[in-house]
Amino acid sequence: MRIDWNQYDPGDFHDELIGPKGQPRLAARVLANYLKSLSDQQLARRQRAAELAITEMGITFTVYSEGENIDRAWPFDIIPRVIPAREWQQIEAGLKQRIAALNLFIEDIYNTRRIILDKIFPEAMLAGSKNYLPQCEGASPRFGVWAHICGSDLVRDRDGTVYVLEDNLRVPSGVSYMIQNRSVAKRVFPELFRRQNILPVDDYPAALFDMLAALSPRPLDYPEIVILTPGIYNSAYFEHAYLAQQMGAELVEGGDLVVGSDDCVYMRTIDGLQRVDVIYRRVNDDFIDPEAFREDSLLGCPGLLRAWRAGNVALANAPGCGVADDKVIYTYVPDFIRYYLDEDPILPNVPSYRCEDKQQRDHVLANLKDLVVKPANESGGYGMLVGPQSTVKEREKFAGLVKRNPRNYIAQPALSLSTAPTVVGRHLEPRHLDLRPFILSAGSTYVTAGGLTRVALRKGSLVVNSSQGGGSKDTWVLDSGGKR
Amino acid sequence: MLSRVAERLYWMARYIERAENTARLLNAYNMLMLDLPRGVGLSWSQLIDISGNGEDFARRYRSANERNTLAFMLSDRANSGSIIDSVTLARENLRTTRDIVPSEGFESINELLMFVRRRLASRNARKNVYDFLSDIVLRCQGITGLLAGTMSHDAAYQFVRLGRNLERADMTTRILDVGSATLIASDSELQRLENRLWTWLLRALSAHQMYRQTVRRQVTGPVAAGFLLHDTLFPRAVLHTTGEIRACLKSLPRNTSAIRSVGRAERHIRETDIHSVFPADFHDLIDEIQLELGDIHESIHRTWFAPRSKG
Repeated sequence: MRIDWNQYDPGDFHDELIGPKGQPRLAARVLANYLKSLSDQQLARRQRAAELAITEMGITFTVYSEGENIDRAWPFDIIPRVIPAREWQQIEAGLKQRIAALNLFIEDIYNTRRIILDKIFPEAMLAGSKNYLPQCEGASPRFGVWAHICGSDLVRDRDGTVYVLEDNLRVPSGVSYMIQNRSVAKRVFPELFRRQNILPVDDYPAALFDMLAALSPRPLDYPEIVILTPGIYNSAYFEHAYLAQQMGAELVEGGDLVVGSDDCVYMRTIDGLQRVDVIYRRVNDDFIDPEAFREDSLLGCPGLLRAWRAGNVALANAPGCGVADDKVIYTYVPDFIRYYLDEDPILPNVPSYRCEDKQQRDHVLANLKDLVVKPANESGGYGMLVGPQSTVKEREKFAGLVKRNPRNYIAQPALSLSTAPTVVGRHLEPRHLDLRPFILSAGSTYVTAGGLTRVALRKGSLVVNSSQGGGSKDTWVLDSGGKR
Repeated sequence: MLSRVAERLYWMARYIERAENTARLLNAYNMLMLDLPRGVGLSWSQLIDISGNGEDFARRYRSANERNTLAFMLSDRANSGSIIDSVTLARENLRTTRDIVPSEGFESINELLMFVRRRLASRNARKNVYDFLSDIVLRCQGITGLLAGTMSHDAAYQFVRLGRNLERADMTTRILDVGSATLIASDSELQRLENRLWTWLLRALSAHQMYRQTVRRQVTGPVAAGFLLHDTLFPRAVLHTTGEIRACLKSLPRNTSAIRSVGRAERHIRETDIHSVFPADFHDLIDEIQLELGDIHESIHRTWFAPRSKG
């Protein structure tokens, strides 16, 4: 049996590849026709070949369960998600605008606080922010950039509008999987890459290196750049090792670093102590410096914040930048864009209710069944209530949580995430997905062509996180200039 | 190269070597027990003493019979010298530095751990245990050979080689110490069997055949001990391992203090006339050599694993 797109039914959702009445969307036409030419067996065979390639290439992520760490093969679906280049240019512009405003906000909030003085943003919001770090007040990193690496989650609703769901400014992960997905996809569909102009994504490690190098406090020397990892037990360790290898940077753990009495950072090598200029840290703020933050942390290095404040080392992302990675602060981002840039937001936020506000809170409490309630500071899809799929008991629990600590919660309408055809057994079924592009900022801003598409592999599920049964797809930004 | 990486490679190599040596030791000891007439005062408890973990054993096991000894030295995770513990730690050390060695290296250590776990969990775990130990020896040697044959012999490899040779020297001196213990034991029956005992000691180090080829004399205490200390060509003889260690150190930066510590140990061994210390002072000699090996480890640790001064 071959694929019959007329039989493919995404229901009431926007499908990324197939339009109403089984008509492939313009950008997906070559792909859809090609898939139609494959028999079910051929399709299943390609999926198996991709899975084999992933095992061989050792692409894994780590799951912690039952007291043991398990390296699992990265779940990958061979059917790519296609985005026309013209649409992507809009999204890219929106992401650049957004990160510019976010960085201006962070710089402002740790320094003059103009936005509070001008009454655009209430100071009370900071008091409840777990990620605001008073230790960073008065600091001013190079270029005024705090969030050097950002992973923003985008979703498309039923009517085709692309929304920003959240901005991950702390230690966003997934970019290595984006690159690996592409190399697997090239093996699976080489003919489609030949026939179409699909924008490359593998320049990311080089762009990352250039961005980090631009931050070096000793611009005249060849910069010593390191990646600071929490270690092998972190779920993203594969990515840390991969990026270090690709950039030719050392992969260090907290114990490898030492801050000297000169407030410079050194790493312990067999040649003795060696000065470090830039640290791409994949350790959370709380843990990077036991001297400044959590005393019991073994993952960081005492004195790191001191060295950073003295301007002797660059930290990417800067400590404290998580203040803008807070789902309550998120609701203000459109205001930031208007205030700092005097522009209208290109990419909309998902409409959100702040539980802090009594009127909005009452609305949320009365409509829990139709809303998604999110805590301000969790990631990975944890600690939230998905109203339409919740039980009475769960809703009662969340009503209590919201009432006890309203500042910590926002609510959003349950979006109808778009779908794309996904291999299930020997045929294709629609599955929900999102998209995480990565944005690099230093002197200039770089956005990946596309990003990491995450897909909820379980039927009807909206949870795309790999730790909770999500998979991923390659993402093709297709230059409709057509054939090369 | 990061100090941490160097340190983990060093320990990985030590643990692989330790697993191999422990398996070899258990096998040889069993052969000896089968060989000796019943009622001779040699027991499994002496084997546990060699491992240096006698106190721990006494705390947790009732008697030092074959079964308990094997359990303790083979499958007891709580015993820091057991084979399962050594293999597990070798893998843990390599897991965090796996990008440094060829991927087959990590794969074969991983396989070794799976193999050991599988065998220990199987219903036949106690059957053919000595074949199982021989398999472990072979697999460990396979890993050692794989690293030697596929890793660039750069600084990273030198730390692997350092760990291997220091661990080897350590085991050889431990085994020599068994000889010294039985020398001063008053059991006259055992002294009568001295020749057989030293043959076993040589076998435990796979040294018997090479001894025969090199020494061409009947096995006696002083001659065998001299061979295991002084021979520069047999890979498990102490002077050979220190020669290897010296060669590794030469290619590393800032090596002065470490080379000096090797020099001290070498000079001491070379200048010892084995016949004059035998038997009365032999145990003290071994003690001193072990301390000197400890010094070599300390200076390696100080220089490369925990550097303090700015470079």
